[in-house]
Amino acid sequence: MKQNIAIEAENLGKRYWMRGAQENPTLFGMIRNKVKGIKPKEFWAIREATFSVQKGQTVGIIGPNGAGKSSTLGLVAGTITPTTGTVRSEGRIASLLELGAGFHSDLSGRENVYLNASLLGIPREDVTKRFDHIVGFAGLEEFIDMPVRNYSSGMYVRLGFAVATEVNPDILLIDEVLAVGDADFQAKCLGRIRDFQKKGKSLLFVTHALDTVEEYCHEVILVESGNITDRGIPERVIAKYTEAALDEHKENLAEDEHGTGDITLKNVTFRDENEQERETFSSGSCLHIDIEYMAKKRVENPVFGYSIKSHHGWHLFGGNTQIADIKIDSVEGPGVVRITMDPLVLRYGHFILSVSSHSWDHSVQYHRIEDQYEFFVSAKDIHEGIIQLNPQYELRDISDSSAEKPASDKS
Amino acid sequence: MIREIAAHRELVSNLVRRELKSRYKGSVLGMAWSFFTPLALAAIYYFFFKYLVARGAPGESIIIGVFGWNFTAICMNNGMMSITGNSNLIKKVAFPRFLIPFSVCVSGLVDYAISLVIQFILVGVLLALAGKMLSGWCLLLPLLAFHHFILNLSFSLLLSACNVYYRDTMHLVNIFITAFFFMSPAMYDWNFIVESSGSHPWIANLALMNPLAPILIGYRSLILPGPEYAFPWMTSSIIGLLLPYIMLAFSYFMFQRMQRNFADLV
Repeated sequence: MKQNIAIEAENLGKRYWMRGAQENPTLFGMIRNKVKGIKPKEFWAIREATFSVQKGQTVGIIGPNGAGKSSTLGLVAGTITPTTGTVRSEGRIASLLELGAGFHSDLSGRENVYLNASLLGIPREDVTKRFDHIVGFAGLEEFIDMPVRNYSSGMYVRLGFAVATEVNPDILLIDEVLAVGDADFQAKCLGRIRDFQKKGKSLLFVTHALDTVEEYCHEVILVESGNITDRGIPERVIAKYTEAALDEHKENLAEDEHGTGDITLKNVTFRDENEQERETFSSGSCLHIDIEYMAKKRVENPVFGYSIKSHHGWHLFGGNTQIADIKIDSVEGPGVVRITMDPLVLRYGHFILSVSSHSWDHSVQYHRIEDQYEFFVSAKDIHEGIIQLNPQYELRDISDSSAEKPASDKS
Repeated sequence: MIREIAAHRELVSNLVRRELKSRYKGSVLGMAWSFFTPLALAAIYYFFFKYLVARGAPGESIIIGVFGWNFTAICMNNGMMSITGNSNLIKKVAFPRFLIPFSVCVSGLVDYAISLVIQFILVGVLLALAGKMLSGWCLLLPLLAFHHFILNLSFSLLLSACNVYYRDTMHLVNIFITAFFFMSPAMYDWNFIVESSGSHPWIANLALMNPLAPILIGYRSLILPGPEYAFPWMTSSIIGLLLPYIMLAFSYFMFQRMQRNFADLV
């Protein structure tokens, strides 16, 4: 193993046998299958996975549900035995495949801290030394001697995270566990992860929170249906993944539309400044939204509207031709309404568009399509968040000497 | 194996504590059950044999036998369920799997050690009533208890692994345990075996090859005075004494082979 490698996986594969409904074969079922010559189907959770994590690096594994992300992590952690290949690691591994795994509901929080710590291979003295720290981090001072069966799920998870990260492992494996806990605790967790990175520890984590991946990872591995399909810098791999996810998602979008149908909205396309149709735009570029319509008969004074939501479902922006003071006398037959956002002030993420057409006085809804169209925005800078506010910075000295200067003095 | 246990001794001690605490949590009598159960069983067997079959062994002999039997039965039962019952641990945490059934057996041993104290008092009183004394050999009890532990561990390892692959194990073992109880000299003693085998001494020889038989007979010869409890040193009893170590080696080997797939099956 090379000096600077923390985890090295070679040709790693895990095969499962699909036994259908017969999870555990009965003798009868086995004989029947033998007689009929039925062989169980095989299923590779992950195959031919070769990757490495360098010391001090943070690597994220992303991909759709059931792609093999957790299996990969389980193989590295050693809970799953590989069918093929090997995985080696250097240094102490703490795996957070599940927070509070091994907690026993009858034991108190205190006893569980020791039990959990010993499962992770932490010496008792270390735990005793850091016990107050652990409990403080979890914020459970008052409840630590209560059986964990009475804990809320948040308390449970907090204690689990506190134990596992307090132990100072060389490698930390995390499986989608940061999605739990309240906002305050999540911030604490991410702070912990930053600390780990600063100490030069290696992290490998699985998550669906792509913004976290982009923020924390040096490298991203994309896993799709059991294969590593891409790896590299976060921005590129995430963009690739989200585009693929979009195609998939499109077919599944629930069609929610209504209206009289006097005007039907037929298709929406997103185009860049070169009129190129795209799904992913970079922040600050030009976005044209073209809404094709068809008016079956002459319609007087129609209004075309739209609204944009983030993938969280937050309503980010809504507008229409009426608000914009654009009076359309009448429409008849096919046409296109173009809405242009230039520069695009959305920063990063996955956005959902609704479009509508209604009468000037809002009394008749001609056609409305809810949450039907999606586009993605990626950012090259390393700001955070979903919108781009284009901040300006200025440093002002307010010590006495500068206050005496009559810079903006009108008196 | 020993090296791994030593490396994880804190984990073992925590698992044992967890096992013991959870076993009696919420019960009023708590740890008292660890001797109350075999005691009640011993009382039942005593009366039934004495008055129904009119051919009972002395009370103290039955107590010793049933307490010893109970240790094995608990390790077999709890050990068998130990892997399947801890699926969350198996799936989510990496550590040597055999520590789970091992811890179950250690907690059984702790329980047994406590119950031995009660058993001592009881047997002492019963002997005193008959004007007799405990045998001085009883100082060697810990050695025999350890030997007994090895046997239980070998059962526990094998059954826990088998039960992951085939839940049939559970049902088979229920039957087997009942048969095993009658095959082992728990509620009868060595003399009873000799008498019943009569002109067929091979039956007695066969009975001694049951690895639990020399253990239960051994307990009696260590605790109880008198020539009628002398240990039958024979080829078959020595085979019976060596068997647990061979079984342990086999069970451990099988367990390590089978544990590769535990996470997929539990």
